[in-house]
Amino acid sequence: MRTEAIDPPGIDWLRVSPKYVKVRLAGWALGNLIAVSLLLLPLVLVLTGVWTWPPVWLGVAIPAVWLLLALWRLLLIPRQVRSIGYAEREDDLLIRRGIFFQRTLVVPYGRMQYVDIGVGPVERPLGLCTLKLHTAAAATSAEIPGLPASEGARLREQLSARGEARLAGL
Amino acid sequence: MALTPEGAGPSGADAAGNAGNVDAGWLRVHPASPFVRGWVALAALLFFFGRDSFERLLQGGPLFDERLAGRAPWLLLGGGTLLLLTVLGYVLSWYFTRYQVAGGYVRVNTGFLFKQQRQARLDRVQAIDVVQPLLARIFGLAELRFEVADAGESAVRLAYLRADEAQQLRATILARASGASGGTLSPSPEPGQPETAAVEAPEQVVLTVPPPRLVGSLLLSEQSVVILAGGIASVLLSAVTENRSFAVFLIPAAIGLVASYWSSFNKGYNFTAAISPDGIRLRYGLLDTQAQTVPPGRIQALKISQPPLWRIFGWYRIQVNVAGYGLAASAGEGTARTTLLPVGSIADVLEILSLVLPDPGTPDPLGVFTAGITGLADAAGTPGSGGGQDTDGGFVTSPRRARFLAPLGWRRNGFTATETALLLRSGRWWRSLVVVPHQRTQSMALQQGPLARRFRVADLVLHTTAGPVAPRLIQAGLDEARALFDAQSARARAARKRQKSEHWMEPVAQPAAPPADHPQEGPHHG
Repeated sequence: MRTEAIDPPGIDWLRVSPKYVKVRLAGWALGNLIAVSLLLLPLVLVLTGVWTWPPVWLGVAIPAVWLLLALWRLLLIPRQVRSIGYAEREDDLLIRRGIFFQRTLVVPYGRMQYVDIGVGPVERPLGLCTLKLHTAAAATSAEIPGLPASEGARLREQLSARGEARLAGL
Repeated sequence: MALTPEGAGPSGADAAGNAGNVDAGWLRVHPASPFVRGWVALAALLFFFGRDSFERLLQGGPLFDERLAGRAPWLLLGGGTLLLLTVLGYVLSWYFTRYQVAGGYVRVNTGFLFKQQRQARLDRVQAIDVVQPLLARIFGLAELRFEVADAGESAVRLAYLRADEAQQLRATILARASGASGGTLSPSPEPGQPETAAVEAPEQVVLTVPPPRLVGSLLLSEQSVVILAGGIASVLLSAVTENRSFAVFLIPAAIGLVASYWSSFNKGYNFTAAISPDGIRLRYGLLDTQAQTVPPGRIQALKISQPPLWRIFGWYRIQVNVAGYGLAASAGEGTARTTLLPVGSIADVLEILSLVLPDPGTPDPLGVFTAGITGLADAAGTPGSGGGQDTDGGFVTSPRRARFLAPLGWRRNGFTATETALLLRSGRWWRSLVVVPHQRTQSMALQQGPLARRFRVADLVLHTTAGPVAPRLIQAGLDEARALFDAQSARARAARKRQKSEHWMEPVAQPAAPPADHPQEGPHHG
């Protein structure tokens, strides 16, 4: 896999399941369905003569622009999912994500307070889960989405064991 | 629960103090405390029922309206019952609130319908505050707050105790938590019995903030600049539009302003910082006084900052992240609690730094910290891909190519690492220096947006507990940022391994009591 400029050199990134694209697609479809139908509301009201103010061209343009942006983001989703990676090192866990706005996060095992595993309604039939690490810092927000359930369970056990071995206070 | 009659206290070395009897030493807070806490409700009740009668008495009329005279007994009865119920509730809540400090734990039981038992480990203490609101102060009472790391409300609040009792309890808790209780404590020490309790660790006043300087700092604060700009804008607007109604909006604004300045003044008045083996002691307040104790090593991150107008007098402010205090914005009292120095000169700043970081980890702390606070990199920068190198402090700043991203800040934004802490500086006008001890680093992230990628720079964000300090290295050169990312992980790892026990006075791993002198006279490691 390609590594980006801000990634530490010589890391073998583990990628999340490609099926996670479907989860993102479902989220994208639902979110944009709601947004576009809300944005179309003025147009409908104008066409039925209830409202007079927004001219028809504006009523068409705004949802159209939104739709265009949404389509662009749709094209990005597979690449965004491919850019999510994690790597277990000797003393810490690395998590990276993003293509335009990239982030590489390092969480020392000894700093982990607890590990969460969450399964959403779309993730469940696909056999995926989301793993979340918590440290004493709220800003950490270390999340690995789209893990196969078995890998998630393995990672959780692994992280808990390593965290215990290297436990430090605050 | 954990409490059974026959000595269920945690067995172990720290149970030596409670002589096997856990049920002993359960104490109640001061009987007057519910009334001091709930005086508003009582006053409202009295006001509501008393005002009418009182007014009529003043006017020379009968005590009760003629129309009401027939119903007066009922009204009186109703009011009396309400009053009685409130008082009864207070008394019950007082009776069922009990606390105990024993066996390495502080325990508090509250409630008579819904009972709550809470216990907190003494060595998990992040800070202890003794708070005296005005009314409590009049009655000689004080509230004790015991903070652990959950960033929410205080873990244990004992309101109210007698002021000397509260101080005694604080001394006892700190003595137990520090692990110093081995020989200095007699068995079964109970707060409230001074002859058997721990002796308060001696303290040494380090600095005070004189009231004139506090007033000056408030007048020159960011807030004042905004207000002045807003005032000028509204006057101009009303002149241009010839609309006098703007004045109406100025009245509530002025009231809010006075209140805000007053609260800052009230909180910052008579600010005193002192050092004791139990940590840093802060005392402040005009009407409501507060005394905070932050044990050594509890400060997660520290920020020295200077609003532009403070530069005239060379003043600085120090804010800290402490795990128990949480976000400053959460409450009105929050900002004061996370302020280690409301306003002070550079000498005061260095004094406080020497308390927080007794071992600066550099042979030239004065040079490094001064460069961090006021330094500026060479305008020329270093050629090539490397970042600019500050001549005096060893600060690595943004590379010269980043000057289009931050035309003013690129010579300021930079970092340096001593053996014990990472220093991040930023801001040309709004100068700030963030200090994060290596062993307090939680996690880190490198971040890069599309524009930063064009200029081959990246941001490094350090995550610490909730608080006013958010450490972020802005626009460091890509290679430097990556090197720091790796080096800082290694340094934090090494520092964690060296980390001492949480009992900061235990003889095995006793850190030297931080000297209260200037860091330039501090220990030389290098």
